[in-house]
Amino acid sequence: MKKIFLTIVVALLFNSLAQAGGGWPQPKGALYLKLSEWWIVSNQHFTDVGQIDPNITSGIFNTSIYAEYGLTDRFTAIVYFPFFSRATINNEVSGTTGEILTPGDAINSIGDTDVSLKYALNKKGLIRTAATVTFGLPLGNDSGGELNNLQTGDGEFNQMIQLDASTSYQIKNTTIYASTYVGLNNRNKGFSDEFRYGFELGAGLLKSKLWLIGRITGVESFKNGEVAGESTSTSIFANNSEFTSYGVEAAYKITPKFGVSVGYASAFRGEIIFANPSYSVGVFFDLGK
Amino acid sequence: MKNLIFLFSILFLLSLNSCIGDDIIDDRVDPFLRISNPIDSLEFNTSYQFETVFLNNVGKETNIDLEWSSSDPATIEVSNSGLITANQLGNAIITGMGEAPSGEMVKTDHLIVVGNSTVITVIEERTGDLETSSSYALEGSFNLKEINGVLTLSFDDNYEASSALPGLFVYLTNNPSTTSGAYEIGAVTVFDGAHSYELPSNIDIMDYDYVLYFCKPFNVKVGDGQFD
Repeated sequence: MKKIFLTIVVALLFNSLAQAGGGWPQPKGALYLKLSEWWIVSNQHFTDVGQIDPNITSGIFNTSIYAEYGLTDRFTAIVYFPFFSRATINNEVSGTTGEILTPGDAINSIGDTDVSLKYALNKKGLIRTAATVTFGLPLGNDSGGELNNLQTGDGEFNQMIQLDASTSYQIKNTTIYASTYVGLNNRNKGFSDEFRYGFELGAGLLKSKLWLIGRITGVESFKNGEVAGESTSTSIFANNSEFTSYGVEAAYKITPKFGVSVGYASAFRGEIIFANPSYSVGVFFDLGK
Repeated sequence: MKNLIFLFSILFLLSLNSCIGDDIIDDRVDPFLRISNPIDSLEFNTSYQFETVFLNNVGKETNIDLEWSSSDPATIEVSNSGLITANQLGNAIITGMGEAPSGEMVKTDHLIVVGNSTVITVIEERTGDLETSSSYALEGSFNLKEINGVLTLSFDDNYEASSALPGLFVYLTNNPSTTSGAYEIGAVTVFDGAHSYELPSNIDIMDYDYVLYFCKPFNVKVGDGQFD
Protein backbone atom coordinates (compact mmCIF):
# COMPACT_ATOMS: atom_id res chain seq x y z
CA MET A 1 0.00 0.00 0.00
CA LYS A 2 2.79 2.39 0.97
CA LYS A 3 4.62 1.71 -2.30
CA ILE A 4 1.47 2.47 -4.30
CA PHE A 5 0.86 5.55 -2.21
CA LEU A 6 4.36 6.86 -2.79
CA THR A 7 4.14 6.21 -6.50
CA ILE A 8 0.91 8.12 -6.85
CA VAL A 9 2.01 10.99 -4.66
CA VAL A 10 5.31 11.37 -6.46
CA ALA A 11 3.51 11.42 -9.79
CA LEU A 12 0.90 13.91 -8.66
CA LEU A 13 3.60 16.26 -7.48
CA PHE A 14 4.35 16.85 -11.13
CA ASN A 15 2.62 20.04 -12.07
CA SER A 16 2.08 21.90 -15.26
CA LEU A 17 5.53 23.46 -15.05
CA ALA A 18 7.04 20.01 -15.22
CA GLN A 19 8.89 20.22 -11.95
CA ALA A 20 9.76 16.90 -10.45
CA GLY A 21 8.38 17.53 -6.99
CA GLY A 22 8.34 15.57 -3.79
CA GLY A 23 10.85 14.11 -1.39
CA TRP A 24 10.08 10.53 -2.38
CA PRO A 25 11.95 8.78 -5.19
CA GLN A 26 10.57 5.98 -7.37
CA PRO A 27 11.52 2.50 -6.13
CA LYS A 28 14.28 0.83 -8.07
CA GLY A 29 13.02 -0.49 -11.39
CA ALA A 30 9.63 1.15 -11.08
CA LEU A 31 8.25 3.09 -14.01
CA TYR A 32 5.54 5.71 -13.83
CA LEU A 33 4.14 7.16 -17.03
CA LYS A 34 1.69 9.96 -17.55
CA LEU A 35 0.20 11.19 -20.79
CA SER A 36 -1.43 14.56 -20.43
CA GLU A 37 -2.75 17.62 -22.14
CA TRP A 38 -2.13 21.03 -20.60
CA TRP A 39 -3.47 24.19 -22.09
CA ILE A 40 -4.07 27.86 -21.51
CA VAL A 41 -6.11 30.22 -23.68
CA SER A 42 -5.67 33.79 -22.68
CA ASN A 43 -7.11 37.14 -23.70
CA GLN A 44 -5.43 39.08 -20.91
CA HIS A 45 -2.08 39.30 -19.23
CA PHE A 46 -0.41 40.67 -16.12
CA THR A 47 1.54 43.84 -16.88
CA ASP A 48 4.86 44.85 -15.40
CA VAL A 49 3.07 46.59 -12.55
CA GLY A 50 0.77 43.66 -11.85
CA GLN A 51 -2.31 45.11 -13.49
CA ILE A 52 -4.35 43.04 -15.94
CA ASP A 53 -4.51 44.29 -19.54
CA PRO A 54 -6.19 42.71 -22.55
CA ASN A 55 -4.39 41.09 -25.46
CA ILE A 56 -5.32 39.23 -28.60
CA THR A 57 -6.50 35.76 -27.61
CA SER A 58 -3.58 33.38 -27.65
CA GLY A 59 -3.26 29.76 -26.66
CA ILE A 60 -0.65 27.19 -25.79
CA PHE A 61 -1.44 23.49 -25.84
CA ASN A 62 1.06 20.86 -24.72
CA THR A 63 0.49 17.15 -25.28
CA SER A 64 3.18 15.50 -23.26
CA ILE A 65 4.65 12.38 -21.80
CA TYR A 66 5.97 12.48 -18.28
CA ALA A 67 8.01 9.54 -17.08
CA GLU A 68 9.76 8.60 -13.87
CA TYR A 69 12.04 5.62 -13.55
CA GLY A 70 13.76 4.39 -10.44
CA LEU A 71 17.40 3.89 -11.39
CA THR A 72 18.17 2.89 -7.83
CA ASP A 73 16.27 3.24 -4.60
CA ARG A 74 17.68 6.77 -4.31
CA PHE A 75 18.12 7.93 -7.88
CA THR A 76 15.11 8.61 -10.07
CA ALA A 77 15.37 9.66 -13.70
CA ILE A 78 12.59 11.99 -14.87
CA VAL A 79 11.64 13.21 -18.31
CA TYR A 80 8.98 15.69 -19.30
CA PHE A 81 8.59 15.62 -23.07
CA PRO A 82 5.89 17.70 -24.80
CA PHE A 83 5.95 15.78 -28.06
CA PHE A 84 3.25 17.96 -29.55
CA SER A 85 3.10 21.62 -28.62
CA ARG A 86 0.84 24.09 -30.31
CA ALA A 87 0.73 27.87 -30.03
CA THR A 88 -2.09 29.90 -31.53
CA ILE A 89 -3.08 33.53 -31.89
CA ASN A 90 -6.54 34.61 -33.01
CA ASN A 91 -7.57 36.61 -36.04
CA GLU A 92 -8.07 40.29 -35.31
CA VAL A 93 -11.40 41.12 -36.97
CA SER A 94 -12.83 44.56 -37.59
CA GLY A 95 -16.06 45.09 -35.68
CA THR A 96 -16.91 47.75 -38.27
CA THR A 97 -16.36 45.93 -41.57
CA GLY A 98 -15.96 42.28 -40.59
CA GLU A 99 -12.63 42.22 -42.40
CA ILE A 100 -9.69 40.30 -40.96
CA LEU A 101 -7.28 43.05 -39.96
CA THR A 102 -4.47 40.87 -38.70
CA PRO A 103 -4.68 37.17 -39.56
CA GLY A 104 -4.26 34.70 -36.79
CA ASP A 105 -1.59 32.08 -36.81
CA ALA A 106 -0.54 28.78 -35.31
CA ILE A 107 2.59 26.71 -34.99
CA ASN A 108 3.08 23.09 -34.02
CA SER A 109 6.30 21.58 -32.83
CA ILE A 110 8.01 19.66 -30.10
CA GLY A 111 8.09 21.74 -26.94
CA ASP A 112 10.88 22.53 -24.51
CA THR A 113 11.83 19.34 -22.68
CA ASP A 114 13.03 18.76 -19.14
CA VAL A 115 15.39 15.98 -18.13
CA SER A 116 15.89 15.57 -14.40
CA LEU A 117 17.75 13.43 -11.93
CA LYS A 118 16.40 13.24 -8.41
CA TYR A 119 18.38 11.97 -5.42
CA ALA A 120 16.72 11.03 -2.18
CA LEU A 121 18.77 12.63 0.60
CA ASN A 122 17.19 10.50 3.27
CA LYS A 123 15.05 7.39 3.09
CA LYS A 124 13.90 7.29 6.66
CA GLY A 125 12.28 9.73 8.98
CA LEU A 126 9.11 11.72 9.15
CA ILE A 127 10.27 14.25 6.60
CA ARG A 128 11.73 12.97 3.35
CA THR A 129 14.01 15.23 1.40
CA ALA A 130 15.36 15.05 -2.11
CA ALA A 131 17.54 17.12 -4.40
CA THR A 132 16.83 17.39 -8.08
CA VAL A 133 18.84 18.78 -10.94
CA THR A 134 16.90 19.60 -14.08
CA PHE A 135 18.18 20.43 -17.54
CA GLY A 136 15.74 22.38 -19.68
CA LEU A 137 16.37 21.51 -23.31
CA PRO A 138 15.28 24.18 -25.81
CA LEU A 139 13.64 21.82 -28.28
CA GLY A 140 10.68 24.12 -28.81
CA ASN A 141 10.27 26.92 -31.32
CA ASP A 142 11.09 30.31 -29.81
CA SER A 143 10.22 32.43 -32.84
CA GLY A 144 7.51 30.87 -34.95
CA GLY A 145 4.71 32.02 -37.19
CA GLU A 146 4.51 34.68 -39.89
CA LEU A 147 5.31 37.47 -37.41
CA ASN A 148 7.76 35.38 -35.34
CA ASN A 149 5.57 36.00 -32.31
CA LEU A 150 4.54 32.43 -31.48
CA GLN A 151 6.53 30.19 -29.19
CA THR A 152 6.51 26.62 -28.02
CA GLY A 153 9.73 27.19 -26.13
CA ASP A 154 12.00 29.94 -24.85
CA GLY A 155 15.06 29.01 -26.90
CA GLU A 156 17.44 28.84 -23.97
CA PHE A 157 19.14 26.01 -22.12
CA ASN A 158 18.42 26.34 -18.42
CA GLN A 159 19.58 24.38 -15.41
CA MET A 160 17.67 24.18 -12.19
CA ILE A 161 18.44 22.76 -8.78
CA GLN A 162 15.59 22.03 -6.45
CA LEU A 163 15.21 20.86 -2.90
CA ASP A 164 12.04 19.05 -1.83
CA ALA A 165 10.74 18.15 1.60
CA SER A 166 7.69 15.96 2.07
CA THR A 167 5.78 14.17 4.76
CA SER A 168 2.68 12.06 5.02
CA TYR A 169 0.16 10.96 7.61
CA GLN A 170 -2.42 8.26 7.81
CA ILE A 171 -5.69 9.20 9.47
CA LYS A 172 -7.95 6.16 9.53
CA ASN A 173 -8.52 5.31 5.85
CA THR A 174 -7.30 8.66 4.57
CA THR A 175 -3.73 9.40 3.61
CA ILE A 176 -2.63 13.01 3.79
CA TYR A 177 0.64 14.37 2.49
CA ALA A 178 2.34 17.74 2.40
CA SER A 179 5.25 18.77 0.27
CA THR A 180 7.23 21.91 -0.31
CA TYR A 181 10.10 22.86 -2.57
CA VAL A 182 12.44 25.68 -3.45
CA GLY A 183 14.53 25.93 -6.56
CA LEU A 184 17.00 28.12 -8.41
CA ASN A 185 16.76 28.29 -12.17
CA ASN A 186 19.83 29.43 -14.05
CA ARG A 187 18.89 30.74 -17.49
CA ASN A 188 20.84 31.80 -20.55
CA LYS A 189 20.53 33.95 -23.66
CA GLY A 190 19.61 37.07 -21.76
CA PHE A 191 16.84 35.49 -19.69
CA SER A 192 16.79 36.39 -16.03
CA ASP A 193 17.46 33.74 -13.41
CA GLU A 194 14.57 32.66 -11.23
CA PHE A 195 13.68 31.54 -7.75
CA ARG A 196 10.91 28.96 -7.73
CA TYR A 197 8.83 27.68 -4.84
CA GLY A 198 5.80 25.62 -4.11
CA PHE A 199 3.64 24.05 -1.46
CA GLU A 200 1.26 21.17 -1.93
CA LEU A 201 -1.31 19.41 0.22
CA GLY A 202 -3.01 16.21 -0.85
CA ALA A 203 -5.42 13.64 0.50
CA GLY A 204 -6.05 10.06 -0.63
CA LEU A 205 -9.66 8.98 -0.30
CA LEU A 206 -11.57 5.82 -1.09
CA LYS A 207 -8.68 3.62 -0.01
CA SER A 208 -6.28 5.84 -1.95
CA LYS A 209 -8.14 5.45 -5.22
CA LEU A 210 -9.10 9.13 -5.34
CA TRP A 211 -6.55 11.84 -4.69
CA LEU A 212 -7.42 15.49 -4.18
CA ILE A 213 -4.58 18.00 -4.27
CA GLY A 214 -4.21 21.71 -3.70
CA ARG A 215 -1.05 23.60 -4.48
CA ILE A 216 0.57 27.02 -4.44
CA THR A 217 3.45 27.60 -6.85
CA GLY A 218 5.45 30.64 -7.73
CA VAL A 219 8.26 32.04 -9.80
CA GLU A 220 10.22 35.14 -8.83
CA SER A 221 12.55 36.66 -11.38
CA PHE A 222 15.90 38.06 -10.33
CA LYS A 223 15.54 40.48 -13.26
CA ASN A 224 19.22 40.19 -13.98
CA GLY A 225 18.81 39.55 -17.68
CA GLU A 226 17.73 41.66 -20.60
CA VAL A 227 14.66 43.82 -20.30
CA ALA A 228 11.59 42.41 -22.00
CA GLY A 229 11.65 45.32 -24.40
CA GLU A 230 14.73 43.82 -26.02
CA SER A 231 12.96 40.61 -27.02
CA THR A 232 9.77 39.44 -28.63
CA SER A 233 9.16 36.48 -26.33
CA THR A 234 5.67 36.54 -24.92
CA SER A 235 2.97 34.52 -23.20
CA ILE A 236 4.50 32.01 -20.79
CA PHE A 237 7.94 32.38 -22.35
CA ALA A 238 8.46 36.11 -21.76
CA ASN A 239 11.53 37.27 -19.88
CA ASN A 240 11.26 38.64 -16.34
CA SER A 241 7.95 36.91 -15.82
CA GLU A 242 6.73 36.32 -12.29
CA PHE A 243 3.65 34.76 -10.81
CA THR A 244 2.10 33.12 -7.79
CA SER A 245 -0.62 30.66 -8.60
CA TYR A 246 -3.00 28.29 -6.90
CA GLY A 247 -4.08 25.00 -8.38
CA VAL A 248 -6.24 21.99 -7.71
CA GLU A 249 -6.03 18.50 -9.12
CA ALA A 250 -8.00 15.30 -8.83
CA ALA A 251 -6.65 11.88 -9.76
CA TYR A 252 -8.57 8.63 -9.79
CA LYS A 253 -7.18 5.13 -10.14
CA ILE A 254 -9.52 3.13 -12.36
CA THR A 255 -7.40 0.00 -12.03
CA PRO A 256 -4.34 -0.61 -9.86
CA LYS A 257 -2.16 0.33 -12.87
CA PHE A 258 -4.21 2.98 -14.68
CA GLY A 259 -5.90 6.18 -13.73
CA VAL A 260 -7.05 9.61 -14.91
CA SER A 261 -6.48 13.11 -13.61
CA VAL A 262 -7.81 16.61 -14.14
CA GLY A 263 -6.30 19.87 -12.99
CA TYR A 264 -6.91 23.61 -12.84
CA ALA A 265 -4.58 26.47 -11.93
CA SER A 266 -4.83 30.23 -11.88
CA ALA A 267 -2.56 33.05 -10.78
CA PHE A 268 -3.06 35.32 -7.77
CA ARG A 269 -0.61 37.74 -9.19
CA GLY A 270 1.90 38.03 -11.95
CA GLU A 271 4.06 40.17 -14.18
CA ILE A 272 4.42 39.85 -17.97
CA ILE A 273 2.57 36.57 -18.16
CA PHE A 274 -0.85 35.31 -19.19
CA ALA A 275 -3.61 35.99 -16.71
CA ASN A 276 -6.14 33.25 -17.51
CA PRO A 277 -6.47 29.82 -15.89
CA SER A 278 -4.75 26.75 -17.20
CA TYR A 279 -6.22 23.27 -17.41
CA SER A 280 -4.89 19.76 -17.64
CA VAL A 281 -6.24 16.29 -18.21
CA GLY A 282 -4.23 13.13 -18.20
CA VAL A 283 -3.99 9.40 -17.96
CA PHE A 284 -1.34 7.73 -15.87
CA PHE A 285 0.11 4.27 -15.87
CA ASP A 286 1.81 2.79 -12.84
CA LEU A 287 3.85 0.09 -14.55
CA GLY A 288 5.77 -0.90 -11.46
CA LYS A 289 8.88 -3.05 -11.84
CA MET B 1 -5.29 -3.55 -24.21
CA LYS B 2 -2.72 -1.25 -22.58
CA ASN B 3 -1.52 -0.11 -26.03
CA LEU B 4 -5.10 0.57 -27.09
CA ILE B 5 -5.73 2.71 -24.03
CA PHE B 6 -2.50 4.58 -24.71
CA LEU B 7 -3.42 5.20 -28.37
CA PHE B 8 -6.95 6.38 -27.58
CA SER B 9 -5.53 8.60 -24.87
CA ILE B 10 -3.20 10.30 -27.35
CA LEU B 11 -5.98 10.78 -29.86
CA PHE B 12 -8.33 12.21 -27.26
CA LEU B 13 -5.71 14.57 -25.91
CA LEU B 14 -4.71 15.81 -29.35
CA SER B 15 -8.36 16.55 -30.08
CA LEU B 16 -8.34 19.12 -27.33
CA ASN B 17 -5.98 21.34 -29.30
CA SER B 18 -7.66 24.51 -30.36
CA CYS B 19 -8.20 26.12 -33.72
CA ILE B 20 -7.65 29.81 -34.52
CA GLY B 21 -10.61 31.93 -33.47
CA ASP B 22 -11.68 35.53 -34.02
CA ASP B 23 -11.20 38.53 -31.76
CA ILE B 24 -13.60 41.32 -32.70
CA ILE B 25 -12.26 44.81 -32.07
CA ASP B 26 -14.02 48.14 -32.06
CA ASP B 27 -12.06 49.93 -34.75
CA ARG B 28 -14.57 52.53 -35.83
CA VAL B 29 -13.38 56.09 -36.40
CA ASP B 30 -15.31 59.06 -37.71
CA PRO B 31 -15.08 59.38 -41.51
CA PHE B 32 -13.01 62.36 -42.51
CA LEU B 33 -12.75 64.53 -45.61
CA ARG B 34 -10.02 67.10 -46.25
CA ILE B 35 -8.56 69.04 -49.10
CA SER B 36 -5.04 67.72 -49.72
CA ASN B 37 -3.78 70.79 -51.65
CA PRO B 38 -5.31 73.77 -49.84
CA ILE B 39 -4.61 77.35 -50.77
CA ASP B 40 -4.97 80.56 -48.81
CA SER B 41 -5.55 82.84 -51.77
CA LEU B 42 -6.31 82.49 -55.45
CA GLU B 43 -5.08 84.90 -58.12
CA PHE B 44 -7.81 86.92 -59.73
CA ASN B 45 -9.08 85.46 -63.02
CA THR B 46 -7.36 82.08 -62.59
CA SER B 47 -8.48 78.59 -61.74
CA TYR B 48 -7.26 75.94 -59.29
CA GLN B 49 -8.16 72.25 -58.99
CA PHE B 50 -8.85 71.02 -55.49
CA GLU B 51 -7.88 67.44 -54.61
CA THR B 52 -9.39 65.62 -51.69
CA VAL B 53 -8.61 62.78 -49.36
CA PHE B 54 -11.46 60.83 -47.83
CA LEU B 55 -10.81 58.42 -44.92
CA ASN B 56 -13.64 55.99 -44.23
CA ASN B 57 -14.98 54.76 -40.89
CA VAL B 58 -11.92 52.54 -40.33
CA GLY B 59 -9.40 55.19 -41.37
CA LYS B 60 -8.68 53.85 -44.84
CA GLU B 61 -8.47 56.12 -47.87
CA THR B 62 -11.24 55.50 -50.40
CA ASN B 63 -13.12 57.47 -53.07
CA ILE B 64 -16.49 59.12 -52.67
CA ASP B 65 -18.58 61.37 -54.86
CA LEU B 66 -18.63 64.98 -53.73
CA GLU B 67 -20.89 67.92 -54.33
CA TRP B 68 -19.15 71.28 -54.37
CA SER B 69 -20.62 74.66 -53.55
CA SER B 70 -19.48 78.24 -53.05
CA SER B 71 -20.84 80.72 -50.54
CA ASP B 72 -20.38 83.47 -53.18
CA PRO B 73 -20.29 82.07 -56.73
CA ALA B 74 -19.94 85.59 -58.15
CA THR B 75 -16.55 85.86 -56.44
CA ILE B 76 -15.38 82.24 -56.65
CA GLU B 77 -17.28 79.60 -58.56
CA VAL B 78 -16.67 75.88 -58.20
CA SER B 79 -17.38 73.09 -60.65
CA ASN B 80 -18.71 69.61 -59.95
CA SER B 81 -15.13 68.32 -59.97
CA GLY B 82 -13.81 70.86 -57.42
CA LEU B 83 -12.25 73.27 -59.95
CA ILE B 84 -12.47 76.79 -58.50
CA THR B 85 -12.30 79.98 -60.55
CA ALA B 86 -11.72 83.49 -59.15
CA ASN B 87 -14.10 85.90 -60.90
CA GLN B 88 -13.73 89.05 -58.80
CA LEU B 89 -11.91 90.34 -55.76
CA GLY B 90 -13.35 89.25 -52.46
CA ASN B 91 -13.61 85.92 -50.63
CA ALA B 92 -15.81 82.87 -50.44
CA ILE B 93 -16.12 79.63 -48.53
CA ILE B 94 -15.81 76.57 -50.75
CA THR B 95 -17.54 73.47 -49.45
CA GLY B 96 -17.14 69.88 -50.56
CA MET B 97 -19.70 67.46 -49.23
CA GLY B 98 -20.59 63.83 -49.74
CA GLU B 99 -22.10 60.72 -48.20
CA ALA B 100 -19.71 58.17 -46.79
CA PRO B 101 -20.33 54.51 -47.66
CA SER B 102 -21.24 54.02 -44.01
CA GLY B 103 -24.05 56.60 -44.37
CA GLU B 104 -22.59 59.61 -42.58
CA MET B 105 -22.38 62.97 -44.30
CA VAL B 106 -18.90 64.42 -44.49
CA LYS B 107 -17.83 67.86 -45.60
CA THR B 108 -14.89 70.21 -45.72
CA ASP B 109 -15.01 74.02 -45.77
CA HIS B 110 -12.23 76.26 -46.97
CA LEU B 111 -12.09 80.09 -47.00
CA ILE B 112 -10.40 81.44 -50.15
CA VAL B 113 -9.40 85.06 -50.72
CA VAL B 114 -9.13 86.32 -54.28
CA GLY B 115 -6.00 88.43 -54.61
CA ASN B 116 -2.97 89.20 -56.70
CA SER B 117 -1.44 85.74 -56.40
CA THR B 118 -2.18 82.11 -55.60
CA VAL B 119 -0.68 81.14 -52.23
CA ILE B 120 -0.45 77.46 -51.40
CA THR B 121 -1.12 76.61 -47.75
CA VAL B 122 1.98 75.11 -46.23
CA ILE B 123 1.77 73.01 -43.10
CA GLU B 124 5.26 73.21 -41.69
CA GLU B 125 4.81 71.39 -38.40
CA ARG B 126 2.33 69.21 -36.57
CA THR B 127 2.49 68.46 -32.86
CA GLY B 128 0.86 66.16 -30.37
CA ASP B 129 1.18 64.41 -27.01
CA LEU B 130 1.40 60.71 -26.26
CA GLU B 131 -0.99 59.17 -23.77
CA THR B 132 -1.06 55.63 -22.51
CA SER B 133 -4.26 53.60 -22.98
CA SER B 134 -2.95 50.63 -20.98
CA SER B 135 -1.22 49.89 -17.69
CA TYR B 136 2.14 50.49 -19.32
CA ALA B 137 3.90 53.86 -19.08
CA LEU B 138 3.77 56.00 -22.23
CA GLU B 139 3.91 59.78 -22.37
CA GLY B 140 5.68 62.63 -24.08
CA SER B 141 5.35 65.40 -26.63
CA PHE B 142 6.17 64.94 -30.30
CA ASN B 143 6.32 66.95 -33.49
CA LEU B 144 6.45 66.18 -37.20
CA LYS B 145 8.34 68.52 -39.52
CA GLU B 146 11.02 68.63 -42.17
CA ILE B 147 14.58 68.74 -40.91
CA ASN B 148 17.24 69.18 -43.58
CA GLY B 149 14.74 68.16 -46.22
CA VAL B 150 13.69 64.94 -44.45
CA LEU B 151 10.32 64.54 -42.76
CA THR B 152 11.19 63.72 -39.15
CA LEU B 153 9.11 62.58 -36.18
CA SER B 154 10.77 63.89 -33.04
CA PHE B 155 10.07 63.22 -29.36
CA ASP B 156 10.87 65.65 -26.59
CA ASP B 157 12.85 65.17 -23.37
CA ASN B 158 9.62 64.37 -21.52
CA TYR B 159 9.14 61.12 -23.49
CA GLU B 160 8.92 57.90 -21.50
CA ALA B 161 7.84 54.41 -22.51
CA SER B 162 7.81 51.15 -20.56
CA SER B 163 10.64 48.78 -21.39
CA ALA B 164 8.91 45.91 -19.60
CA LEU B 165 6.79 45.04 -22.60
CA PRO B 166 8.28 42.73 -25.25
CA GLY B 167 8.26 43.89 -28.86
CA LEU B 168 7.08 47.52 -28.54
CA PHE B 169 6.67 49.12 -31.98
CA VAL B 170 5.76 52.66 -33.08
CA TYR B 171 3.48 53.44 -36.03
CA LEU B 172 1.81 56.29 -37.92
CA THR B 173 -1.86 55.62 -38.54
CA ASN B 174 -5.33 57.03 -39.19
CA ASN B 175 -6.97 54.41 -36.97
CA PRO B 176 -5.62 54.26 -33.41
CA SER B 177 -7.32 50.93 -32.67
CA THR B 178 -5.29 48.68 -34.95
CA THR B 179 -1.99 48.42 -36.76
CA SER B 180 -3.77 47.25 -39.90
CA GLY B 181 -3.12 49.85 -42.60
CA ALA B 182 -0.64 51.70 -40.38
CA TYR B 183 2.87 52.68 -41.37
CA GLU B 184 5.35 50.82 -39.16
CA ILE B 185 8.18 53.14 -38.21
CA GLY B 186 9.98 50.38 -36.34
CA ALA B 187 10.80 48.76 -33.03
CA VAL B 188 11.15 51.10 -30.08
CA THR B 189 14.77 51.19 -28.95
CA VAL B 190 14.67 54.42 -26.93
CA PHE B 191 12.51 54.30 -23.83
CA ASP B 192 13.13 57.73 -22.38
CA GLY B 193 14.32 61.14 -23.48
CA ALA B 194 14.57 63.02 -26.76
CA HIS B 195 14.97 61.06 -29.97
CA SER B 196 13.69 61.08 -33.55
CA TYR B 197 12.76 58.94 -36.52
CA GLU B 198 13.39 59.95 -40.14
CA LEU B 199 10.53 59.04 -42.46
CA PRO B 200 10.69 58.04 -46.13
CA SER B 201 10.08 60.64 -48.83
CA ASN B 202 6.78 59.06 -49.91
CA ILE B 203 5.14 60.09 -46.63
CA ASP B 204 3.53 63.54 -46.51
CA ILE B 205 3.16 65.57 -43.36
CA MET B 206 -0.63 65.32 -43.56
CA ASP B 207 -0.87 61.60 -44.40
CA TYR B 208 -1.48 60.35 -40.86
CA ASP B 209 -3.34 61.67 -37.82
CA TYR B 210 -1.93 59.50 -35.00
CA VAL B 211 1.29 58.19 -33.57
CA LEU B 212 0.52 54.69 -32.26
CA TYR B 213 2.39 52.34 -29.93
CA PHE B 214 1.63 48.61 -30.04
CA CYS B 215 3.14 45.56 -28.42
CA LYS B 216 3.54 43.53 -31.57
CA PRO B 217 3.83 40.02 -30.08
CA PHE B 218 0.78 40.41 -27.83
CA ASN B 219 -0.98 42.58 -30.47
CA VAL B 220 -1.84 44.98 -27.67
CA LYS B 221 -2.28 48.73 -27.91
CA VAL B 222 -0.11 50.59 -25.40
CA GLY B 223 -1.10 54.18 -26.28
CA ASP B 224 -1.25 56.88 -28.92
CA GLY B 225 -1.07 60.58 -29.63
CA GLN B 226 -3.14 62.55 -32.09
CA PHE B 227 -1.66 65.35 -34.15
CA ASP B 228 -3.15 68.73 -33.38
